Amino acid sequence: MILLCGIPSEPPLALVREALDEMSEPYVLFNQRQFPATEMSFEVTGGKVTGELRINGAGYRLDDFSGVYVRLMDDRMLPELKAEPPDSPLRLYCRALHDTLMRWCEIAPTRVVNRAAPMGSNSSKPYQTQLIRQYGFEAPESLVTNEADLVRDFRRSHKAVIYKSMSGVRSIVQTMTDADEERLELIRWCPTQFQEFVEGFNVRVHVIGAGLYATAARTEATDYRYAYRQVGDAAELTEFDLPDEMREKCVILAKGLGLAFAGIDLKLTPDGRVFCFEVNPCPAYSYYQANTGQPIATGLAKYLAGFGEVMVN
Amino acid sequence: MWLVLCSSNDISGHWVYEGLKSRGLDPVEMVFAEVLPFSLSFEHRVGVGGVSARITLSDGRVIDSREVRGAINRLLAVPSTHLTGLPDGEYAAQEFSAFFLSWMYTLPEPILNRATPQGLCGQWRHPSEWVVLAANAGLRAPLYRHSSHDQINEAFAERRLFPSGTPTRTLIVAAGKVRGADAPDSIREGCVRLSEIAETSLLGIEFVSEGPDEWVFAGASPLPDLRYGGHELLDHLAFTLRGNIEANPPQDPSADAAEPGNAGRSFLATAAL
Repeated sequence: MILLCGIPSEPPLALVREALDEMSEPYVLFNQRQFPATEMSFEVTGGKVTGELRINGAGYRLDDFSGVYVRLMDDRMLPELKAEPPDSPLRLYCRALHDTLMRWCEIAPTRVVNRAAPMGSNSSKPYQTQLIRQYGFEAPESLVTNEADLVRDFRRSHKAVIYKSMSGVRSIVQTMTDADEERLELIRWCPTQFQEFVEGFNVRVHVIGAGLYATAARTEATDYRYAYRQVGDAAELTEFDLPDEMREKCVILAKGLGLAFAGIDLKLTPDGRVFCFEVNPCPAYSYYQANTGQPIATGLAKYLAGFGEVMVN
Repeated sequence: MWLVLCSSNDISGHWVYEGLKSRGLDPVEMVFAEVLPFSLSFEHRVGVGGVSARITLSDGRVIDSREVRGAINRLLAVPSTHLTGLPDGEYAAQEFSAFFLSWMYTLPEPILNRATPQGLCGQWRHPSEWVVLAANAGLRAPLYRHSSHDQINEAFAERRLFPSGTPTRTLIVAAGKVRGADAPDSIREGCVRLSEIAETSLLGIEFVSEGPDEWVFAGASPLPDLRYGGHELLDHLAFTLRGNIEANPPQDPSADAAEPGNAGRSFLATAAL
């Protein structure tokens, strides 16, 4: 039995559900929007974790879940709570339910995609880059500073420089221009991340357990995810045959970061170098599957169903 | 240079700073969390050539990761209240947080504890995780129950393994050695195992006594009151920070009198949860 958690219509969750249906694998869906009809409890005795999940009156033993896919939205933002005051019983119950679920996921002796703790490395890009370097990937030259002069020197020493957020807040990667340099003094209020622009094409690698799907993204845009906005044309996504050595490194990297499912962002340069920019711990893979037909959801469903090696505990 | 990173009101931080100085570590710089976001200059580089970070504090001191030989890290958080209400203040607060996590990760070993995304001074864990880890370490842990109907405000960490006020004994694990209350060898060995599997080299572990030899795990923290470890802990921390790891670090008897909060070898660490 597999437990799916989130909003059923959200594409990554919906695709896994379709894949499980095709595989005739049994699953239970915790629909966040139906939280009032859901109860959960667990206990720990001598290190053993047991408990029960009840949805609409039907009970499920937590031990029976062989895999859990967690794709939760911020429960405080659920439409059902929009009119609720901060301390309303309904709001507090919703929070307590989600807390119970998340706490169990952290210690559940099963395949959880993904546990919360290892997802934390993505909250600091330069921190995560330091981890990535330990797995043998090249990292682009980066400077985080509040000193305008250092940035000017950095820009002069590279053909092109981009800037982007270093926290988990999503930002659109931008190429630094002369106009940006004129307002550079503003960074004295907050250290800002600058990075050499690396020539080449992007490859998104979705690692699932010991398997992976690599997708090339070709575009003239600085940030391929926003190619239409930046250059007026969407990025071209195609299946990519990653060399064996690189495949192995990606699997080891995801495992090392404690992620059963990871979206690794690589860039391959014309001279054969491979840079790793970041590892997304909660990849919205549906975008890549929709554009290439790669069966990522099926791979994820198989992992949840117990196929292949357990990569992380 | 060695660092003691802590809040200005962290008595344990002050105590360990004085203790390390009296044991000859020189220079030891104490850096308060409250001054870090107001530093004059931040310069952090990551790339093919390696990783470095250099911060110039508002008092002129320069903390260069390449010159740091070790650190006691008791940073709970770096304040960001000065950004509250400002345009993009929430974004800037997250950027600062991301910066300091990465900066602290550049500091070389030995560092107790290394920064993690779940806590700058080491990974904070929920009691439900601690009871699993404690049991795996061979320690006796109490029954833990958790339900969606519990009326506990997790935001204020109100969930406890024992009721507030229950007397406890505290052991401190530092780089594989146990200091603090007198405890059976099996408990001390379990504490070292817990520190290892929790990947937290400096860990305070609390126990409740349910009989003369009944030590029941009651909680653990990467930010313990280090004074429970007494002068032996300071000896071991100084020894570890010098880059030496061995079973019996040298004692410095003259240090006893100078250390605030040090009750000597008969120190029995007791407290209330």
